[in-house]
Amino acid sequence: MKSLIVIANTALMMTITAACATAAPDAKLEGLEEQAFREAAAIVAPSVVRIETVGGLDQLSPGLAAGGTTTGLIVTADGYIVSSAFHFASKPSSILVTLSDTRRFPARLVATDRQRMITLMKIDAEGLPVPRVAPRDGFKVGQWSLALGRTFDSDSPSVSIGIISAVNRIWGKAVQTDAKVSPVNYGGPLVDVQGRVMGVLVPLSPQSTGETAGVEWYDSGIGFAVPLEDTMAVLDRMKAGDDLLPGLFGVTFQGRDSAGSDAVLDRVRFASPAEKAGLKKGDRIVGIDGRPVYFVAELRSVLGRKYAGDEITLTAQRGEKKVDVKLTLVDKIPPFEPAYLGILPQRQGEAAVVRIVLPDSPAERAGLKAKDLITAWNNEPVTSARELAERVSRMRPDEATTVTVQRDGKTESLNVKLASYPDTVPAQLTADVLSTDPPAADAVKTGRLSETLEGHDRKYWMYVPESYRKDRPAGLMVFLHPGDDSMESAVLSAWKPECERRGIILVAPQCDRPAGWSPNDLEFVQDCVAKVKETYTVAPDRVFVHATGNAVPFAAVYTFRNKAAVHGAALTGAALRGNAPENDPDERLQFHLSSSLADKQATAIKVTAEMLKKARFPTVYTTFTQAAEGYLPSLMVEEVARWADALDRM
Amino acid sequence: MVALKDTARMNRLLRTMLCGLLLITVTVVECRAQSTSETIATVSPKVVKIFGAGGRKNLYAYGSGFVVSAEGHIVTVWSHILDGDSVTVVLHDGRRYEGRVVGAEPTLDLAVLKIDAEGLPFFDLSIPTPTVGPGVRVLAFSNVFKVATGDEPVSVVHGVIAAQTTLSARRGVFDAPYSGPVYIVDAITNNSGAAGGVLTTRTGQLLGMLGKELKNNTTHTWLNYVVPISQLQTAITEIQTGKFAPRKTQDDEEKTAAPRRYSPRDFGIVMVPDVVTKTPAYVDRVIPGSAAAEAGVMPDDLILFVGEHLVASYRALRDEFGVLESGDRVKVVVRRGDQLLTFEFTAPRKNIEP
Repeated sequence: MKSLIVIANTALMMTITAACATAAPDAKLEGLEEQAFREAAAIVAPSVVRIETVGGLDQLSPGLAAGGTTTGLIVTADGYIVSSAFHFASKPSSILVTLSDTRRFPARLVATDRQRMITLMKIDAEGLPVPRVAPRDGFKVGQWSLALGRTFDSDSPSVSIGIISAVNRIWGKAVQTDAKVSPVNYGGPLVDVQGRVMGVLVPLSPQSTGETAGVEWYDSGIGFAVPLEDTMAVLDRMKAGDDLLPGLFGVTFQGRDSAGSDAVLDRVRFASPAEKAGLKKGDRIVGIDGRPVYFVAELRSVLGRKYAGDEITLTAQRGEKKVDVKLTLVDKIPPFEPAYLGILPQRQGEAAVVRIVLPDSPAERAGLKAKDLITAWNNEPVTSARELAERVSRMRPDEATTVTVQRDGKTESLNVKLASYPDTVPAQLTADVLSTDPPAADAVKTGRLSETLEGHDRKYWMYVPESYRKDRPAGLMVFLHPGDDSMESAVLSAWKPECERRGIILVAPQCDRPAGWSPNDLEFVQDCVAKVKETYTVAPDRVFVHATGNAVPFAAVYTFRNKAAVHGAALTGAALRGNAPENDPDERLQFHLSSSLADKQATAIKVTAEMLKKARFPTVYTTFTQAAEGYLPSLMVEEVARWADALDRM
Repeated sequence: MVALKDTARMNRLLRTMLCGLLLITVTVVECRAQSTSETIATVSPKVVKIFGAGGRKNLYAYGSGFVVSAEGHIVTVWSHILDGDSVTVVLHDGRRYEGRVVGAEPTLDLAVLKIDAEGLPFFDLSIPTPTVGPGVRVLAFSNVFKVATGDEPVSVVHGVIAAQTTLSARRGVFDAPYSGPVYIVDAITNNSGAAGGVLTTRTGQLLGMLGKELKNNTTHTWLNYVVPISQLQTAITEIQTGKFAPRKTQDDEEKTAAPRRYSPRDFGIVMVPDVVTKTPAYVDRVIPGSAAAEAGVMPDDLILFVGEHLVASYRALRDEFGVLESGDRVKVVVRRGDQLLTFEFTAPRKNIEP
């Protein structure tokens, strides 16, 4: 048998040489190759098992039906079997394994490697045939590889033959083959021509993760197998019953093309291993575990083989010096949640003076009072309201600290226990005292204005309160109307009193297509806002977007793309799809969502609110019964105005 | 069917035992070593292009066939292309003939045509065909997507045998026009117009006829199946010699609603209510004194097999019990905790309306 394999191998090499010399393949060599394929399959066949499942979901994902049969590979004589996690996405209620000798065993799931999508299960059997493992460093692009499966009603495993197309794919997790890989053989082995197992066949995708990612490439000539050597290396961890999860350390890199970019840190996530290890924005990662790194791709290839709980050593170049940091990867980085104190600062001057203590807040409970000058936070001096806001928000909502205030010439230290942002808007909120001075002679235009934006040649309208004064920064509301209805008169009449009372400038860029806003309009809206900020004094922390109906999804995109310039979004009458982006401590965002109870979208809007809350954005969700003609009822307008007037809360 | 399955099992057993021997056999057969290109040169002239009815919507109007007699008998699949009075058959060298259907066997998805020609190269069905296993190199010849026109020979695709299995007409497994043993090919052989083409070994021995496009209901992938020539041989010869009488089709039986002759309750088993499409077949309770109670079936047992068939859900269980006949022995395998237990019952006498 062995000698035959040797002959076949020699034959393979000869074929390659021969192919160059003559056009027609040699019949004898074809025969020997074929024989080698059959033998390789026969050697591994006893370790390839059929797995049947009962119960579970009908569909793995929309449009992808769950099957009842898949393949597994025996990896220990005492009954451990690996398969692709793909099949178990349906969460079957019972698993049954049939060995090549037709014996049947019930199986129990032990653990799943979620990095490589391999599931481990166990049957109570002894003396099972274990295949030989092909060493990973011996894999060569172009060598024969056989994909075996056992989903057909047949005694022998099914065979698909191809070559190794690449040895390090999907961030080092997999080898690639052009053998046909599909639900027919997911979970089965990829075998070399010597009958050794190279890997376990799984669907994988470079872009996405999850059990079903990559299944769209079935039988396409792009198939993947997770090297068995890698799986054997973590087998003991899996046997303990713990799922293995991808390891994160919490950074993003500069540049859009993450894989091809230089490994320069763009952001270091709050409370992540990277932050704890002292990595900083701007650090260039130049090494991981002693291996040099030039591009993000190299880093990802090493991380692709690591799990949460693994320790890595990163070398960072910071200016002139090199820093080595050791960190332990984690499976999940908790979303950043800002802490809430419950005050509104005075808007004139730099100093951190309390303007309003919000009711039922940590500040109120700690005994803070209006006009208190906060001089220290957490026993460190505070020089400005902006600095205070920054430091408050970066604490955890369950933390306690001390705040030092000057009140009536005396210094007092108060203990404060922080909290999460409330999910309601204060029932009352005193507006900031407005200027009653007469406007200056060179004052800018106020009142209802119609403008055309240069460069875009597109229209927008504004309302600038008569009370606007250059030296008093105003709030700014960017109103985005649904494509088919400008809502100008309804919004203007509803907001005019609020704009006057609370010092808010309203700007309403006009959508020029009845179908609604498209991503192409982002620049126009940005330029509109820039133009307003150029002409008027706008408080940077009180800029918000307000949208209704089909403008809501666009408003959300605009908000998330302009986090540096937008601090809130008041959305009504439509829901958002997908996931909320990460909450960024440097760019704080707050949301107000509302819907009429009669609206069909009410449930979906509530789900959107839940999603935003889950991402730890301060979010208010309100419903109203009484609907005004085409726009929000006046009580709701007042609520949104109060919410907007409290955007600078901390 | 049962007999056939047993024979198949015996064959498989023998094959497993004599695996090494088989290898040798194959090697012996291949003594007249012939390269792939030489094979293609001899096989291509025996495969024809067929044009007929269709051409609207998704119904293509072209197909493939192969010559089985010097005087122009052509085997193809039974399909809508043959719906017209006649079809056009184009040989490898561009000669065109009018073809008539001389016989068909719908249960085999088979039709035989005749053209008025002489001295054609043909596959001699009297030569025994080999049985091959997974990993054996094969070639598929067909006019897939009617790429070949006029005097162009049909397209050749290479691959290996992926598996030998059985297409079963059992509901929910394959919605196949043919049920019986098949080869599954590791190559995309079954596409529009390919059905009726041939699969050969790389030395040109005829293995079977390419089937239609079919989705595998177990894995939801496309299935490249080939009907072994041994399955078709008798019917082809009978049609050729005019002795053919179509067999009773299973279609009539299949089309009627699934029988509901027995239910688990007849054995004293009350199942957990069927609430979702794939409700597992869990036993809710066992009626005291019933056959199931005596055998030892317990509440919360999960029924996994009825006979040899896996019951993936309550509905599958209902279908399996439904087809039992009075006096049948029925073997039931249940999972209790991490154990598999087997129980056997006899279907009680019952007055069943015809």
